[in-house]
Amino acid sequence: MTVATAYPARRSAGARWLRWRLAERRETGFAIALFVVLLAMNVLLNPARFALGAWGATIGLAAPLIAASIAATPAILGGRGGIDVSVGPLMGFVNALIVQTLIADAGISSPWAVVPAALAVGAVAGALNGFLAVFVRIQPIVATLGTYLIFTGLTLTIAPAPTGTVPPWIQSLSGQLSIVPLLALAGVWLGIKQLPYYDQLMAVGSDDRAAYTAGVPVAWVRFLSYCLTGVFAGTAGLMLTALIGSADPNVGASFTLLAISAVALGGVSLGGGRGGVLAAVIGASDIFLLQSALTYFNVSTFVLQIAYGLILVGSISLNGLSAMIERWRGR
Amino acid sequence: MISRLGPTGRRVAAAIVLAAVLELVGAILIDGFMSEFSVRSMLVLASLLGVASIGQTLVVLIGGIDLSTPFVIGFANVVAAQLYGEGMNFAFVCLVVGAAALAIGAINGALSSTLAIHPLIVTLGVGTAVQGAVLLWTAGFPAGSAPEAVTKFVSIGGHAGPLPVPWLIPSFLILLALMTLVLERTPFGRQLYAMGSNPQAAPYALISPRAIWTATYALSGLFAATAGVLLLGFTGSAYGDVGQPYLFQTIAAVVIGGTTLVGGRGGLIGTAAGALVLTEINTLLIGLGLSPAMVEAALGMLILALVSIYGREPHVRASI
Repeated sequence: MTVATAYPARRSAGARWLRWRLAERRETGFAIALFVVLLAMNVLLNPARFALGAWGATIGLAAPLIAASIAATPAILGGRGGIDVSVGPLMGFVNALIVQTLIADAGISSPWAVVPAALAVGAVAGALNGFLAVFVRIQPIVATLGTYLIFTGLTLTIAPAPTGTVPPWIQSLSGQLSIVPLLALAGVWLGIKQLPYYDQLMAVGSDDRAAYTAGVPVAWVRFLSYCLTGVFAGTAGLMLTALIGSADPNVGASFTLLAISAVALGGVSLGGGRGGVLAAVIGASDIFLLQSALTYFNVSTFVLQIAYGLILVGSISLNGLSAMIERWRGR
Repeated sequence: MISRLGPTGRRVAAAIVLAAVLELVGAILIDGFMSEFSVRSMLVLASLLGVASIGQTLVVLIGGIDLSTPFVIGFANVVAAQLYGEGMNFAFVCLVVGAAALAIGAINGALSSTLAIHPLIVTLGVGTAVQGAVLLWTAGFPAGSAPEAVTKFVSIGGHAGPLPVPWLIPSFLILLALMTLVLERTPFGRQLYAMGSNPQAAPYALISPRAIWTATYALSGLFAATAGVLLLGFTGSAYGDVGQPYLFQTIAAVVIGGTTLVGGRGGLIGTAAGALVLTEINTLLIGLGLSPAMVEAALGMLILALVSIYGREPHVRASI
């Protein structure tokens, strides 16, 4: 008797879980479909760029955006308006620090110094964002907007104009070895997913009040998510440096909005608690492939901009539409 | 007295006091900060920012955010100049630009509320597409200029009758009073606050979320377009990226003015004070002789310092 009553309850919970997982796949599903279509289009249109031997360079071209979208994800997953708009300027700041301060001024160009430096700067910047957003409790978009301005200003002070060169090992990170930093980021994220921290982050993102009453240290979980975002953004700054091969104070900031668009396009909920790094990567790849295909058609950048805006709104709308249909059916 | 204001009133009061204090600090630190020209130019710049920030405040009050503001400003700026340059009557130009801006805003609001998509992405995508369309139309080189009336209306050296300020300043104050009245005393205004404080409960009070979101975002588009046309008069020639600084500045003005980004709390008077505070800080930093790069960094730090004093969010435990 007790088993009979307990069983349906358990099954319905299981069914709900399954539907939730599927719902999540559906949101990313559009991004995956778009990815397949765009990739096929690109390979057909531009076989040279997507030939087997050219994959290193192609991935290197896409890497800063992909890494930026990975970086934007943890803070967003934390929920309650969690977002880091300083990701782009932080990438630019790391770029200027590496090329100007470290390599040109101090003459340090060993990977064993440069990589830890980039990660450390990212971690400190992320901790600053986390401190402001979580402990000072400034609304995240405003807190990170403040640091956005600070990083932009500091970058322009270090390197007022494009300048400098990078050693060969950094250049190779946008060539044959371009997949290495991305694999490292993926590895770190997969590692985090095994930790209890990941579950806590998703719990805080879905319902911070429930998580708080359940004893989850909500503030620290969110703080760490900003630190992760910072470290990832530091890595993204390194990849940006590899791609442009110099210090450029003007390229970083543009990555913020692209990264947040990529994250949303991939199906990560900006409300927190749903989605993950893989979804963000697919969203970023979509944007990259779209840009790549449109550039091949040799359309003006203006048309590219229109198409980019419309596809962003269109695919997000499709996601929203199918979610709405599902809610109707559920009733 | 202060305790009677409530938390939102205190934030607004803090912003107004801050504007006065900054004026004083500037007067002490910088020679000529209180000169007639300097005060006039600060008032004009703050009013231009204020017009765009009114729209941002409205959408923030319903719990949204509008990232299309800079793109709509650029759109209005370029399209108005282009159409006027082609010989169209300026009143008709304003009508066309205003209607288009209302439509762009309405799309933003209707899409985000109907499909339950985050407005951040919708407004960003729509804004990007609008900017692309404008650039495509003008091939990246917008032509045309503002009619003299608009230039005079915003000119720093202008006079509004006996007043030593251009007509922009009294007009902005009247607009501010009118919109405050709309927010405080009309059903639409009250519904807007109700929508923002509790989106789940609003439908039970017979408030249609879709109608409110569409109308509010349409208004935000209209105010952004107004700022764009005024900026055309201020700078003299069309420039598609003229609105870019306004993306974050409008949000900063709203937050410094005491409106919280979660919606339902705040108002326009605070936002106007916030716009003034931002303009004063900028003038102060430039007056201190900082490089443009350091001005930007210092502005970021000051915004953080100000908001951490009086713009803090409640702890999670306070929301249980």
